[in-house]
Amino acid sequence: MVLAVKTVNLRIGYLDEEEEKIQWAVRGVDLEIQEGESFCLVGESGSGKTTLANAIAGILPPHAVTQGKVYIFDKLVVDDSSRNYNGVRGRIVNYIPQNPGTSLNPFLTIEDHFYYVLRDLYKYDKSKSKSIAIETLSKVGLTSEILDYYPHELSGGMKQRVLIALALASNARIIVADEPTSSVDASLRAGILGLLSKLNKEYRVTLIIVTHDIKMTSAICNRTAVMYSGEIVEIGKTSIILQSPKHPYTRMLMECVPILGVEKPLKPLPGEPTRIFEDISWCSFRERCPYASVECKTTPSMIPVGDDESHFVKCWRFHEVA
Amino acid sequence: MSEEVIKLERVTAGYKVVKGALSIWKQVNVVLRDISFSIGKSERLAIIGESGSGKTTLLKVILGLLKPIKGSVLLYGRDIYRIPDEEREKILRKIGYVPQDPYRSLNPVLKVKTIIGEPLEVIGENKEKIEKRVVEVARFVGLPWSALDDTPEELSGGMRQRVLIARAIIANPEILVLDEPTSALDVSIQAQILNLLNNIYSNFKPTMITVTHDLAVAQYLADRVIILKDGCIVEEGKLEEVLYNPRHEYTKTLVSSYLYTTTTNSVSGFNNKS
Repeated sequence: MVLAVKTVNLRIGYLDEEEEKIQWAVRGVDLEIQEGESFCLVGESGSGKTTLANAIAGILPPHAVTQGKVYIFDKLVVDDSSRNYNGVRGRIVNYIPQNPGTSLNPFLTIEDHFYYVLRDLYKYDKSKSKSIAIETLSKVGLTSEILDYYPHELSGGMKQRVLIALALASNARIIVADEPTSSVDASLRAGILGLLSKLNKEYRVTLIIVTHDIKMTSAICNRTAVMYSGEIVEIGKTSIILQSPKHPYTRMLMECVPILGVEKPLKPLPGEPTRIFEDISWCSFRERCPYASVECKTTPSMIPVGDDESHFVKCWRFHEVA
Repeated sequence: MSEEVIKLERVTAGYKVVKGALSIWKQVNVVLRDISFSIGKSERLAIIGESGSGKTTLLKVILGLLKPIKGSVLLYGRDIYRIPDEEREKILRKIGYVPQDPYRSLNPVLKVKTIIGEPLEVIGENKEKIEKRVVEVARFVGLPWSALDDTPEELSGGMRQRVLIARAIIANPEILVLDEPTSALDVSIQAQILNLLNNIYSNFKPTMITVTHDLAVAQYLADRVIILKDGCIVEEGKLEEVLYNPRHEYTKTLVSSYLYTTTTNSVSGFNNKS
């Protein structure tokens, strides 16, 4: 198997100007994603999931501070502070933004959206970009009629499909989708998830999905990583993580999701993720954790769980989380 | 049903659109068509629909902010658009309102304690009483003591939502109106807010109207649901009835979109566990 994405001890931070300190959004992430996989990053806001996804997609803001390494198909794109996504961003990795309503240019028709993207990437002319547009739109279940439409004439679900088609048009092998369903209506979610899953299965696109909704992962992703305060705290096959979560945070995320038709009390833990400025030597979840004890004063390492060699958890007391 | 608190009779509502350079063409964009329903005392109702279905417009009509083109809106038996202003104000004070977006609904230059106390200031309570009540309400909604002297900018989304809820309940409203109370929040914060709202209901038993696009959220906040589609009520009934026996095409897609994400083996395993 070929590795699509590999990060080595990746740290990403933003300079907090008031405090003159770097706030670390991603702290020491080692991640390997195989080609053709559908991978999910789960966490609350402030957990660093979007920053990590942006680093893979090559759209970190210029003022972000990076340490460590990121490889995309063996090409080194982040090497400590130097970042070079030339030939990768847009061609190999593509990004589906969070909000379909505000991510399309209201002055351009859908056809022009395709034209400008393909002209900048491959210097295609209008007729070639049009034929590619028709082909990719049909992959996402839209007809060529909408080529002449402006974004405001489309519904939210159609805009999301156009964004997915735009990401596909450049022949990207990795697609990073940031909260693909959070801003579309509930009734359209299933359709969008089904489409992403189809892209992954039929066209062998490596899919990286960022979400805060852990139940959504079960629908499409075969592997899931749970992030908290910039670290991956649990990683493994989606089915195994959902059946027997080992980190107390993963467990809490699942107990917070309302499920239609199932009456269960929601059990959130008090508090919110902490912002981290310096290197800490303790477990970042300690303050909210119901299982916290003396050993949690030292940072846990990634501990393999059970016989499954792909399941790891960053918790000293994972045996007690049942 | 016990006493009818809110009753809408054949309400049609919309917005005036002015077109043309000289603003000569006036046109009405109708958003709600022929809406009739009523809510009893201490009942919990959810209004569900996709974006553009008219949910927020319906709330505006109930809150006295948008005069309907046709039909009447009765609060405690009085048509709020056909009574003197003073009387209407008196009735509308019984409503507590939590607006949709916690990031845009709070005045960024005011301190949190001023924001929460505003409803009491408007009705002319004395300062000491307001301060005492602000502390009481803040503790109830789970705002830390230190947050009262902050401005909203310094608070997270979940904390802002708590400020909005505190402001809505400070004057002991008999009706609580919530516009998408959790859609801007993460799951764990959403769960905290849902538990808080249920806590408010069990303590004060207000009449509750919640607008949401998420049926799973509605099951925690409502007993009865109304499904809106393109400005019309397409389905109305007890939540379980709608869930297990949807009749309208739109409701069917809505319900099935949840089953798609929750009936896979892995997740049902999780259901059994909890």
